[in-house]
Amino acid sequence: MSMMTSLPQFPWLSLLVLLPLVGALLCLLHSKRPADCRALALATSLAVFAVALYLFVCHGQSDGRWLLYEDVAWIERYGIRYVLAMDGIALLMVLLTAFMQLAAVLLAWRVERHVSSFFALLLLLEAGLMGIFLAYDLVLFYLFWEVALIPMFFLISVWGGANRRQAALKFFLYTLVGSFFMLIAIIALYQIHGAQSGVYTFVIGDLMQTQLTAAQEGWLFAGFMAAFLVKSPLVPFHTWLTDALTEAPAAGSLDLTGLLLKTGIYGLIRVAFPLFPNATENFLPVLGVLALVGLFHAAWAAYHQDDIKRLLAYSSISHLGLVVLGLAAWQLTAWEGSILLMVTHGITTGALFVLVSLIRERTGTRSMQELGGLWGQAPCLAFMFLLFSLASLGLPGLANFAGEILVLLGTFQQHPVWAVVALLGVVFAAAYMLRLVQGVLWGSTHKERVLPDLTMREWLILLPMAILVVWIGIYPEPFLAPLHGSVANLLAGGLP
Amino acid sequence: MSLLDLLALLPILILVFGGTAILMAGAWYHEPRPLLAGGIATALLAAVAAGLVQPPVAEIAGLFSAGGYARFFTILWALLAAAGLMIAGRFVVEKKIGAGEYVSLILYAAAGMALLSSATHLLGLFLALETFTLAFYILIASNRHCEMAAEAGLKYLLMGAVATGFMAFGIALIYASSGTLALPEAVVQLTTATGELHAWGLLGWGMVLIAVGFKISLAPFHLWTADVYQGAPAPVAGLLATGSKGAVVAALVGMLAMAGPIWHDLIDLIWLLAALTMLVGALSALNQKNLKRLLAYSSVTHMGTLLVGLLCQTSEGLAATTFYVVVYVVASFGAFAVIASLADKRGEPMSFDQWRGLGYRHPVRCAVLVLLLLSLAGLPATAGFMAKFAIFHAALQSGYIGLVMIGILASVISFAFYLRVSMLLFQPDESASRWHVGTSLEHAVLAVCSSAVLLLGLFPGVLFDLIGRLLP
Repeated sequence: MSMMTSLPQFPWLSLLVLLPLVGALLCLLHSKRPADCRALALATSLAVFAVALYLFVCHGQSDGRWLLYEDVAWIERYGIRYVLAMDGIALLMVLLTAFMQLAAVLLAWRVERHVSSFFALLLLLEAGLMGIFLAYDLVLFYLFWEVALIPMFFLISVWGGANRRQAALKFFLYTLVGSFFMLIAIIALYQIHGAQSGVYTFVIGDLMQTQLTAAQEGWLFAGFMAAFLVKSPLVPFHTWLTDALTEAPAAGSLDLTGLLLKTGIYGLIRVAFPLFPNATENFLPVLGVLALVGLFHAAWAAYHQDDIKRLLAYSSISHLGLVVLGLAAWQLTAWEGSILLMVTHGITTGALFVLVSLIRERTGTRSMQELGGLWGQAPCLAFMFLLFSLASLGLPGLANFAGEILVLLGTFQQHPVWAVVALLGVVFAAAYMLRLVQGVLWGSTHKERVLPDLTMREWLILLPMAILVVWIGIYPEPFLAPLHGSVANLLAGGLP
Repeated sequence: MSLLDLLALLPILILVFGGTAILMAGAWYHEPRPLLAGGIATALLAAVAAGLVQPPVAEIAGLFSAGGYARFFTILWALLAAAGLMIAGRFVVEKKIGAGEYVSLILYAAAGMALLSSATHLLGLFLALETFTLAFYILIASNRHCEMAAEAGLKYLLMGAVATGFMAFGIALIYASSGTLALPEAVVQLTTATGELHAWGLLGWGMVLIAVGFKISLAPFHLWTADVYQGAPAPVAGLLATGSKGAVVAALVGMLAMAGPIWHDLIDLIWLLAALTMLVGALSALNQKNLKRLLAYSSVTHMGTLLVGLLCQTSEGLAATTFYVVVYVVASFGAFAVIASLADKRGEPMSFDQWRGLGYRHPVRCAVLVLLLLSLAGLPATAGFMAKFAIFHAALQSGYIGLVMIGILASVISFAFYLRVSMLLFQPDESASRWHVGTSLEHAVLAVCSSAVLLLGLFPGVLFDLIGRLLP
């Protein structure tokens, strides 16, 4: 394992995790002054974003080794270590998290009830997400995995829509059951490794050396997959997501779709695939087929929704199907495309969820039947809606296209049939997105409504996203550069 | 019994004589607050004495150990008694309960629990068990204006009598077949050359196990638990759910640590008991509508998990069990303390209707309750996770894979009911009423419990190291 250096370096990665935690605590301490909490949350998110951006600028070129690595003994009795590690993929996810979190805080600016708790939970969620993307010890990973779960549960169950309690419980139980299978697999792998080598450890890099029989590997792999596929969510396990996304408060939906879903796929890349290469190889065809089924099923379901938030939830599942398909192709270009698509999907769908919540605030409805004619009433809002919808359906020159074309190209080299089928799915995406645009922007105007256009705060949320969407669409190279080395390493089954 | 023995017994003597002095004082002096303060001071003094005074002998009168492990639990139970008195202040004053009696009974119970955790002799075990059980018979029914409390007291008395019968008969059988009551010898004598138990010995052990099953409410001997916890006042129920059960488990751990493997032919039976207890507890808790009943069933599940640790019979398993006891005591007692701190003239908030939306009226204490419940559920970063992890790790090393699977299944189920309560607390409800703001002593207990749950979750190594050094 290539440690950066034995010299004590500044713990940037711990800072990424700790800053939001401290911010959350401070928010709770200022529970009597909502204005202070908002400012605190914004300041914390800005600080985290600054750190992430600094790391991105410093380490934008990666040869595939760890960019940063922090390793401290934690619970020595069980060989549990506090290991945070960042390679190019983690770097990109960290940057996405910090960016989306800023948008979430701004979006939540007008939350009225229990402001301090809301922002504290939002920041706690950010800490958990950062931890998931950075942890390299399985217990630490599991810890952050659950830490990210709790705030989301409360965000949905307290600030959510009408059916929030059911949705929150469903979300929690689905992901919890999945993660318990993962916990069993983690402990079993730890025991097997310990019995073999006499060294009890949870560090992923060390556990990769474990000699497993085919049966053992299969079962352990299944345990991890249960957690990751439910979180991703791949199609038979996806029903929690539509409810959770529909009921969650605006900032919650943003984080859920933009970030939390990515943790499942990130888990595949960082944990499941490297630990169990043989089982992975056997499972890839199944994964590919599941991804294709998911792509079509979700697209089909999206086409038939009336609630625009639900439609976007299904479109998320459909897009993530494409991401998983790219991973299943096990090919450099496809993987890079998948990871880029994760980022761009986070931004475009996140922005669409923002817009849906803005429309909901103004009109009081999310039903396509009752919407329409937005173009005439709030042109700036409508333009943004159009831009992100087009990005989401994969219009060339906008962000998602860059990821999708890489996925399709890479997949075509390995499995031409998959790529052709997936291409049909992308066309399907155009169908439901255009139906959405048609239903919301055009059609008969509801004259009785007065729709104010975007405010300053809303511009602040959407404009950076719009710039990024265009930028990545035209020139994705800066975001692909950190990936090359890490992806190549992972595909070769080696350590970063 | 020599003078040295008495010195080694000092913490217990402080508890007993302190309790008696307060009982006498209470007969003439009816002001409750100074009596309670005296009780708290006595309990803390006993804890300090147990920590600082080096016992000059290893064993007291051949009945009780004075080793580090016994001292550890003496300190724990003394502190628990102090905490129990700290949250009982308003209950004693408002329900006009004789403060002298109440304080002295709590101190006697603590003495009994401390003795039980250090028993090295079957007679000592029996005496200690009866000491605190007797105290609890009275304490549970101490609120004479409440019918539920009387019912709970009677139920506990009847179940306790049955358990005592089994215990006494079991001990008699063990004595008959081994010829001794001293623990390591009795167990060694019971075993034949081929490693099996004598028939009478097996029967004796089985009966003792049933008695233990009643005391720590293993399924199917758990049916009294929910009713008793519901009827007992929260400060008493808190002690009953934690100390009285923890002390029994600690005694079993001590026994296993001294005598080596003692379960022999009973392993399958204990396996079954553990599996049944974990599942029955978790499933019964699912459809409770009353927080105290829910905590009762949650304690049943936890006892099942502890039994898994005891079943391992390895030093790994014993250390894990001891750690689990401490964590369970802190979290579960804390949860009862939240109930006690909210109680006012109307009584204690119990049914879920009363808890709905309470998170907006009393945010800090409800947040503490959520934290403690999540620790009981075993969420990572809380102490509960490390405790469960340690037990399951030990069980896997001993090869109990099936039991671990059942344990994890029970954990998943228990997440559902702990979360239901957490969600209920923060469900918007305008009609949620305000309860008592709580005294500073009650807040202090809650602060200690919640910080202990977090600190033990993040840095469990400290306690594990201590336990590793102390286990005999």
